[in-house]
Amino acid sequence: MSEPLLSVRDLRVSYQVGRNFVHAVDGASFDIPRGSITGLVGESGCGKTTVARALTRVIAENAAITGGQILFDGKDLAKIPEKEMNALRWRDIAFIPQSAMNSLDPVYTVEYQLDEVLRRRGGLGRKQSRARSEELFEMVGIDVNRLNDYPHQFSGGMRQRVAIALALALDPKLIIADEPVTALDVIVQRQILDQLKELQTRLGVSVILVTHDISVVAYICDRTVVMYAGKVAESGTMQAALTAPSHPYTMGLRNAFPDLQGAASGILTPIEGAPPNLASPPAGCRFKPRCPFALDICGTEPPVIDVAPDHPVLCHRANESAALRIEAAKTETWMAPA
Amino acid sequence: MKNFKAVGSRLLQLALVLWAVVTILFLMFRLMPGNPMAAYIDPTFTLEQQQQLMAQFGLDKPLWHQYLIYLGNLLQGELGQSFRYREPVGQRIWILLPNTLILTFSSLIVAYVFGILAGAYLAWRRGSWVEQAAIPLVLTTRAMPEFWLGMVMLAIFSFSLGWLPAGGTRAPGNEYSGFLDLYTSRDFLAHLALPAATLAIYSQGLPLLLMRSNMLDVMKEDFVTMARIKGLSNWTVVVRHAARNALLPVMTSFAIAVGYQLQGNVVVESVFSWPGLGRELVNAVAASDYPLAQGAFLMIALVVIFMNLAADLLYAFLDPRISHA
Ligand SMILES: Nc1ncnc2c1ncn2[C@@H]1O[C@H](COP(=O)(O)OP(=O)(O)OP(=O)(O)O)[C@@H](O)[C@H]1O
Ligand code: SF4
Ligand SMILES: [Mg+2]
Repeated sequence: MSEPLLSVRDLRVSYQVGRNFVHAVDGASFDIPRGSITGLVGESGCGKTTVARALTRVIAENAAITGGQILFDGKDLAKIPEKEMNALRWRDIAFIPQSAMNSLDPVYTVEYQLDEVLRRRGGLGRKQSRARSEELFEMVGIDVNRLNDYPHQFSGGMRQRVAIALALALDPKLIIADEPVTALDVIVQRQILDQLKELQTRLGVSVILVTHDISVVAYICDRTVVMYAGKVAESGTMQAALTAPSHPYTMGLRNAFPDLQGAASGILTPIEGAPPNLASPPAGCRFKPRCPFALDICGTEPPVIDVAPDHPVLCHRANESAALRIEAAKTETWMAPA
Repeated sequence: MKNFKAVGSRLLQLALVLWAVVTILFLMFRLMPGNPMAAYIDPTFTLEQQQQLMAQFGLDKPLWHQYLIYLGNLLQGELGQSFRYREPVGQRIWILLPNTLILTFSSLIVAYVFGILAGAYLAWRRGSWVEQAAIPLVLTTRAMPEFWLGMVMLAIFSFSLGWLPAGGTRAPGNEYSGFLDLYTSRDFLAHLALPAATLAIYSQGLPLLLMRSNMLDVMKEDFVTMARIKGLSNWTVVVRHAARNALLPVMTSFAIAVGYQLQGNVVVESVFSWPGLGRELVNAVAASDYPLAQGAFLMIALVVIFMNLAADLLYAFLDPRISHA
């Protein structure tokens, strides 16, 4: 693998709540290769949005990046001065939010909001900006006559396309999409994902697709990073994650979601229980309370084991994963967690 | 097309409200205890004057007929004769209304411009010592009674320092050839300064606190966060996005505040002997000058109703979610 576009090393982000700290991201490491589309997947509350936002360094008021490195194109985004970071924003790293309804300013037309980015951040002139806006609308398949409409005049799916157009505006190297289709119905989800994939391939941009839905990841991603309770459980190629999931959590997730391609995938088996409270996570492996394969040793911090090249797994039993997969495929395994 | 319809139905609504006010006024002054004629005819008028008014207002006719005559008179701007001034009420109001409107608008515009800027600034600097100090101060200005504030202003700027005149709209002996001449004179502006400042100090708290709390809410909105992720400058984020959105309800409150202020003006107009509608209304009621009271009341109601309409139109104009529905 050549030098990755983004390399996150031992990233830590905490929220201060009163006198306590919620370590929402607690030592996450993963790579994003150039020109790839990577799914960042995990249950609600596991820290996906926190990671995504940390990459832009626009984080909640009570949040702080407390450690680690975010190596992007030779710079450590965790360390560079704010001014330098701001210069990178949108030009190099763009963002597609979950709800374009709330993230477009309701009092300005869509064209105004494209123009704002193109001219203020991209340095384009008025005419160039207009031409680029039209080009972007054509790319995402919206009639250019609608440039002058306000956000509330679009349907949910179209607004999401507008958000994609906005993200593409300055030809960024990396686009972070935080649950870009979660609010949409399945048919529109697929259309938007297809479009995102097509544009990603055509433009060669790297995409991080944040979602709690592993079937979305399976549908369009080349790679995946599976998060659990603030840590990366497993990461690697999509191929590896689908054919050889090696962390019990990934195996469980696979059973818990329907297939977006519509193929009958048998019975859905949820993972019993809920993720731990990140203000006071359990000692050792955080998945232990829900893991059907937990052993005594799991009460200690699990190691990162490379089960194959480019396939690190955070689990004491990672080397036994082939055997565990067979067990995990059975519904009974998940009925009565150890 | 939809817009025209909306404005049309709003205008119809307005006409209905107007009609209701006019009717209530009619009944109020006629059903009051005592001689209904007292509403229009002062016993000290000459017999000839009395008869002329009887005929003009149809006071010898049945109530429904009187009502029609009353409406007809109103449509022609005929409001009757003031007892105290022995002149048509319309003429009297025509002299007083501009004074009241100038005082109200100048003080409110100052209050709103200041309040909006300061409120936005305080929201931006949330948690700083500036904010810690400013909020109690603003609350204090809201709590001060208007008449007390007015008297303090008079005591300081007029009586002690002698910088500004104490009351009225012009220095004794000064004559002006017309409205415009008067209202643009230094003399008038000097007289306006103290009452307008008093009202402005009294009124700035509302827009300030409203703007601040709206800003704090809007700053949490996703589109503000997105504006930061886009790397837009702090100014663009705070002013073009946060403040622009926070402004919507504040602008609407302006129009409503005008109506509210017209009623509140009474106190300040009295303290500064400002010849305005509010003061006149109170005096007229005290002196049983019913035609004048009725006219002043009607005029104030008109302005309030009109400003409410203006508030709606303004909101629709400023918020594309309404104008481009
Ligand atoms: N501003 C905040 N203050 C305190 N805690 C927060 C804050 N934002 C998030 N958290 C906590 O941090 C943890 C991670 O949240 P995050 O939003 O990153 O999760 P997520 O994986 O994106 O979940 P979702 O699928 O619900 O979006 C959660 O436990 C959440 O409660
Ligand atoms: S370390 Fe143990 S408890 Fe954790 S996932 Fe692996 S087997 Fe399960
Ligand atoms: Mg999230």
